[in-house]
Amino acid sequence: MSLWIIDKSAMATFVANVMGDYRVVGPKAKGPQFAFDEIEDPAELRLDYNTSILPPKKYFQPQEERLMTFKRNGDSAPEAVIEAEATVIFGVHTCDLHAMRVLDQAFTQNFPDAHYLTRRRQALLIGIECLEPCDEHSFCKSMGTLTISEGYDLHLTDLGDVYAVDVGSEEGLTLLKTYSDARLATESDMQQLNRALSAKWPRFPYKLELDVDELPALMSQSYNNPIWETLAEKCLACGTCNIVCPTCFCFNVYDEVDLNLENGERSRRWDSCMLDVFARVAGGENFREQRSARLRHRFMRKGLYLVERYKHLGCVGCGRCARLCLADISPINVFNELHE
Amino acid sequence: MAENGNGSARPKVAFFDFACCEGCQLTVIDALQTHLELVEAVEIVQFREAMTEKGEDYQIAFIEGSCTRKEDEDRLRKIRAQAGIVVALGACAHIGGVNALANLQPSLQDVRQYVYGDKWDWYNTYPARPISAVIQVDAFIPGCPIDRVEFLSVVKQVLLGKTPAIPDYPVCVECKLKENVCIFDKGGVCLGPITRAGCDAICPTYGDGCEGCRGLIPNPNENAMQDVLLKAGLSVEQLRARMTMFNAYDPAQIEA
Amino acid sequence: MTQIAEELLYLPVMAKVLEVESLTELEKLFLIQLPDGHSLGNAPGQFVEVSLFGIGEAPISVSSSPSRSNGAFELCIRRVGDLTNALHTLQPGDTVGIRGPFGHGFSLEKMKGKDILFAAGGLGLAPLRSLINQVLDERGSFGRVIILYGTKQPKEILFKEELQEWADRKDVEFHLTVDRGDETWRGNVGVITTLFSKIALNSRNTVAAICGPPIMYRFVLMELMGKGIPETQIYLSLERRMKCGVGKCGHCQINNLYCCLDGPVFKYSQIKGVEEAL
Repeated sequence: MSLWIIDKSAMATFVANVMGDYRVVGPKAKGPQFAFDEIEDPAELRLDYNTSILPPKKYFQPQEERLMTFKRNGDSAPEAVIEAEATVIFGVHTCDLHAMRVLDQAFTQNFPDAHYLTRRRQALLIGIECLEPCDEHSFCKSMGTLTISEGYDLHLTDLGDVYAVDVGSEEGLTLLKTYSDARLATESDMQQLNRALSAKWPRFPYKLELDVDELPALMSQSYNNPIWETLAEKCLACGTCNIVCPTCFCFNVYDEVDLNLENGERSRRWDSCMLDVFARVAGGENFREQRSARLRHRFMRKGLYLVERYKHLGCVGCGRCARLCLADISPINVFNELHE
Repeated sequence: MAENGNGSARPKVAFFDFACCEGCQLTVIDALQTHLELVEAVEIVQFREAMTEKGEDYQIAFIEGSCTRKEDEDRLRKIRAQAGIVVALGACAHIGGVNALANLQPSLQDVRQYVYGDKWDWYNTYPARPISAVIQVDAFIPGCPIDRVEFLSVVKQVLLGKTPAIPDYPVCVECKLKENVCIFDKGGVCLGPITRAGCDAICPTYGDGCEGCRGLIPNPNENAMQDVLLKAGLSVEQLRARMTMFNAYDPAQIEA
Repeated sequence: MTQIAEELLYLPVMAKVLEVESLTELEKLFLIQLPDGHSLGNAPGQFVEVSLFGIGEAPISVSSSPSRSNGAFELCIRRVGDLTNALHTLQPGDTVGIRGPFGHGFSLEKMKGKDILFAAGGLGLAPLRSLINQVLDERGSFGRVIILYGTKQPKEILFKEELQEWADRKDVEFHLTVDRGDETWRGNVGVITTLFSKIALNSRNTVAAICGPPIMYRFVLMELMGKGIPETQIYLSLERRMKCGVGKCGHCQINNLYCCLDGPVFKYSQIKGVEEAL
């Protein structure tokens, strides 16, 4: 849409102004790492973060979320609970913006999910262009997620003393005009932005040994590859890879009651297909009992099944799973090994 | 039987202890103070650590501690015969816990001499075992000590007539859901990947690596865990100490 | 994001239990009515999510056929866990939470004019009964109707009176077997595949509908393939953990298929070679 310029020195005021009317969340330091959290002081916002432990999807599908409250006595119907508030999310990396497209599809297709979509509608996404790789684990360039041209309300690019602000939606434009003193970009601003964007590409290594568009075809031929057995020997099946993945959305549902057994609530919580009992049915049969089968299922979802269903790859190269995997299992290595 | 707010009978509950530190029962007393509804929901008829009355008519028995003596077995069987539901309370009752460390020593007599000195033959102990090695157990509340929230959850499930379920996934899941910095990233070691969750990852949340007090998940990949720990710098001795602190018990130790 | 029509997908409605009938030691049949005179509007083979608040929710196949709905539907429920144990304590007048119907059922249109072979094992009769009675209510639209039913023991046989009606009909070929008989059993003994020797099929014109425990499929499929029935004319109803019923939670996924969306009724040609399916 349009390109604007905001001084870095004016960002704190922008954030503070938005905080007056919205819940503002963004990357904050958490020990030596970063996590998306509510911003209480604009100085906490760390747009220079490398990556967050959990992706910002938690603001659309919270780790645990109440779906309804109920009474156990009598015949009264349960009452739906939708917990949503107007939120502005600052500092979403392009890989996570790509991941949102998967989640949007998953929660819209066939049966639109009011819990997810209500939160999604009430949120504005402010992306930030990555100019340096997060660390050695990320492989966004390989997955085609190193940049993005849609899926955000505003998108920032660091140009030294200023941020270029690309407007992606009417809501984004209104936010920018209402709460900041940003000015329209000039011809020379645009040239500076283009220089920054072209300069960033060589800094990111291309790690995939095939074209990313060929990945689904590769995966469809890899079902019986011995790699799944090999990886299963060192995989701890701890579920971490699923929990930190920006495109995982599986969940389980739990009922919880008060001690008087009269009132309760039904909630959903993130689940993980790497866990032992994920595919077990009431009679006891477990349809993915082997660790190797679960590992394969996870990679098939990322590289094949989600593309088939939602037209977007399930792996965006953020590197979160690889970074936290104690067994050093990284999707990029798995894809490359399958390609050999 | 007394009535609760629902008009249904309050189940009678009793607490028992065997070889343990009674820390889990202390957590129960703590829960009774923070959740007064618990006192309304059940009728406690026996709880040595909290009351002097001693009723022998109960439906639910919570048992803390490992079985470490032949004489304990009769007492356990008597409890089992009376109670409709037997719940193992804490690591010692659930998996043998730290008591089972004694089982790893070459001679149990040496252990007794070390612990009891010259009175060692007053104490006729045998290899420590979880109570499920002696009697059938209907539900387990793991941990050293137990988690108060999980205790309440199990009580509610029993009251609802459900088979009390505890998490069958590892601590890593709860830890990541809380978005903790991984203990390994802080240079520490942790048994979170193979230890049963349900503690809300309390130790890693406060900076300590998991020591496995809740027992292992179903089908744990112990070999891979050991590789990870060795790579993180543990010596073989440290690795063995970490893996056996709470999980030393092996049914083979009591076969004979 | 643009606004789209969205739903409270997980919110059950409170339905009334009208009748409860004990079928065997483990199974009960519940007649259930939705509130406000709503009809379930199910196709044979679809399932509903059944809730008891505080206990949980589980997918259960609808056992009655749309042609006999009368504003209510039937669920045949086996006692296997906390939820089903609690469901078994329900009395007429009690309420249960219901969501659905969900999933892809049997396509009746594609069966018209064909001979229909039903093969049910154990509790697998529950979902098939929905289709069987629908077919019988439109009997003139189909060729031969052949029903094969097997259970482990005589005491596990479901819907005994209805089976007798089927057996008594001249236009239904009904065969029953048990894996192990007892002292009063006079019928066939042997697994369900032993019944295939009793029937001759015009394979080209036969559609088969199968439902039973996982182990049964492989052997029944071998029989059907052996008789030359095309893979595109064999339908199977699969059991998975359909926690949400709406293609989100991931628990029922079979390779790239969602049992709750793409199934639970699959054409064999659709799942042949899909490793996690059978």
